[in-house]
Amino acid sequence: MNLVELHNITYSYPRTAQPALRDLSLAIPQGQFCTVVGVNGAGKSTLCYLLAGFVPHFYHGELTGTAQVAGHDVAQTPLAEMAADVGLVFANPFNQITGARFSVREEVAFGLENMGIPRAEMLARTEEMLALTGLSDLAERSPYALSGGQQQRLAIASVLVMRPRLLVLDEPTSQLDPAGTQEIFALLAKLVRRGETAVVLVSHELEWIGQHADRVVVLDDGRILADGPPRAILASEMLPIPGTRYTQAARRARAEGLAPAQGELPVTLREAVAFFRQA
Amino acid sequence: MERIKKDFTTLTLVMIPVAIAINVAVGQLVILLKLPLYLDSIGTVLVGLLAGPWAGAITGTISNLVWSITGLFPQAWAWAHVAAIIGIFAGLFGRFFKRTPWLWFAGGLATGITAALLSAPVSAYIYGGVTGTGQDFIVGLFRATGASIIESTLGQGIVSDPLDKFVTFLLVFLVVLGLPRRFLLRFPRSENVT
Amino acid sequence: MSSFTLYQPRDSGLHRLHPLTKLTLTLCGVATAVVLPGFWPNYLLFALFLLPLAAWGQIVCPLLRAVWPIWWPFVLSLFLVQGLFWPGGTPIVTLGPLSFKQEGVLFATAMAGRILVLIGSFLLLSLATRPDALMNALTARGLSHKLAYIILAAIQIVPRFQAKAETITAAQQSRGLETQGNLLRRARALLPLLGPLILSSLMDVEERAIALEARGFGRRTLRTSLILLSEQPWEKGVRALLLLATAVLILARTVLALR
Repeated sequence: MNLVELHNITYSYPRTAQPALRDLSLAIPQGQFCTVVGVNGAGKSTLCYLLAGFVPHFYHGELTGTAQVAGHDVAQTPLAEMAADVGLVFANPFNQITGARFSVREEVAFGLENMGIPRAEMLARTEEMLALTGLSDLAERSPYALSGGQQQRLAIASVLVMRPRLLVLDEPTSQLDPAGTQEIFALLAKLVRRGETAVVLVSHELEWIGQHADRVVVLDDGRILADGPPRAILASEMLPIPGTRYTQAARRARAEGLAPAQGELPVTLREAVAFFRQA
Repeated sequence: MERIKKDFTTLTLVMIPVAIAINVAVGQLVILLKLPLYLDSIGTVLVGLLAGPWAGAITGTISNLVWSITGLFPQAWAWAHVAAIIGIFAGLFGRFFKRTPWLWFAGGLATGITAALLSAPVSAYIYGGVTGTGQDFIVGLFRATGASIIESTLGQGIVSDPLDKFVTFLLVFLVVLGLPRRFLLRFPRSENVT
Repeated sequence: MSSFTLYQPRDSGLHRLHPLTKLTLTLCGVATAVVLPGFWPNYLLFALFLLPLAAWGQIVCPLLRAVWPIWWPFVLSLFLVQGLFWPGGTPIVTLGPLSFKQEGVLFATAMAGRILVLIGSFLLLSLATRPDALMNALTARGLSHKLAYIILAAIQIVPRFQAKAETITAAQQSRGLETQGNLLRRARALLPLLGPLILSSLMDVEERAIALEARGFGRRTLRTSLILLSEQPWEKGVRALLLLATAVLILARTVLALR
């Protein structure tokens, strides 16, 4: 059974005329690293909220179709139960700090406290997660005294420590500076290599996606426009996304007659080097 | 009971500390501008209006307890019940907000008078008639006319509180009009304001 | 970054006390201050009870530094309002048309003593107790975790808001908003400052609620805690004794007053 099974999902926020998701079907197997791209307003955030249960349980509105995530029927499962199996991280690092705890370590443990995990296990899991996210040295600090990138790593640690079967990240670097963005993608690469958790990542960082993702889903106007391995999608000519800068450069070179008109366009840096060497 | 449970959504719970922070920050802004007002219950009134009287009461009470526990304003605990009443009144008068705004503003005056009546005994019997602020000047004026301590603190309250709460209710009115409708609909008492 | 709490970490016996014991000390101090009659008792209470406790906690200087700026406006007001304007009363010092009255000065001195203990009791608690440890102790005794969340989040958000208010004030001033001048002009500055502050913070509320739910805040299971509070075996007895002594004091005072 797939970890995520969405069938014919149509969803509208309350008092809106246009649905945010239209007849959307999507299946994600265990452990897959799936990325979602698309223009603003394409329904990416709504999809994230649906996977974590905030659509429909927090936003209400009208949901049709069936959504199974980590064995739960999303429409029937209270948020509190979804939280144990689906972790959600979003763009603003500051708003994800609960404010209920005074140190980084306690902030990470907060979710486990709510789940009633025994203290010894809680300590072990918290330390493990602090080490994984590189926050061990900052464990005694106030969460508010961290940089944006550190706060975002803290947000990831705080949901991962609950051992979700699916981690959903909605543009986790869009409000970070380049250094913070680097930190998050390095951490994500590490997570994906561990392969313990399925990840759904919404991001505009196409180069990175091209290198690391198993799969790219293109959303447009609430529908899935394309779905496949990064190479096929990111080098495609038909999509409302520009492709990576390597693809763009190769495309331009081809148009100017500087490269052979046949063959696959490069997506990653290494492919680009090979492509231009050929040319 | 059902209604109270509906009022205390996670959104309400999250809004309360934000409202308390608004109370403190606006209170300090007013001191910075040297205005003869407090305006340190704007957040409380906002919660009362958007999440009902009991959420308002909790906001007021905890606002004052937090000031005491943190040592920023240790004397505040004694007026916690006044802060609670302000939240309750905002919640009760909230129903007039949209259709008969003048009753909402009248609610501000009523809140001020009630706050004055409730806070006067505290300053009179616990703090010897003073609060350690510029308002004590007015208490002194009343004392100079031969009024008793409780009469003087009551007089000071009646002079300051209704105006302060009227302006508070007015400012909340203006702020809420500036909030997007989509956002207001998320609150448990959205029927008050949309 | 500025912090909203006054907490001073020390390795002291007072700091190691269970938060509930310190809270009991504070509440008993407050109740005692209000019922103690007369001129001297509250000053004695401060000198013989609060100061030694502060010495035990190695926080005498921080305590005095924290008490002073809150206490002296009260003292000033008390002496001016009650000293100068006590109706009737025996003049002792005359300044032009005004004079300090004996009854007023005595009243002001007694009240100043009470306020000293009221302020000092709470400040002793805030200087020697982490708010999260206090809330932890209270939730372990049945306080709702939602109330504890509200209190702790408020304590942490307030300094962020003070910073936000300063930023907005600076921004608006640089756009020509006048925060000086006559009353009308200053009053007119209020809305342009207040609007952005409140609107921007309210818009964050939705995301903060989602973040909290995503961490299982809404679960009804039994909660556990990472913070471990230690308690000396004698602390329960001390708390009971303090409460008993305070109750006796209040009772004695009531009986005396009724006579």
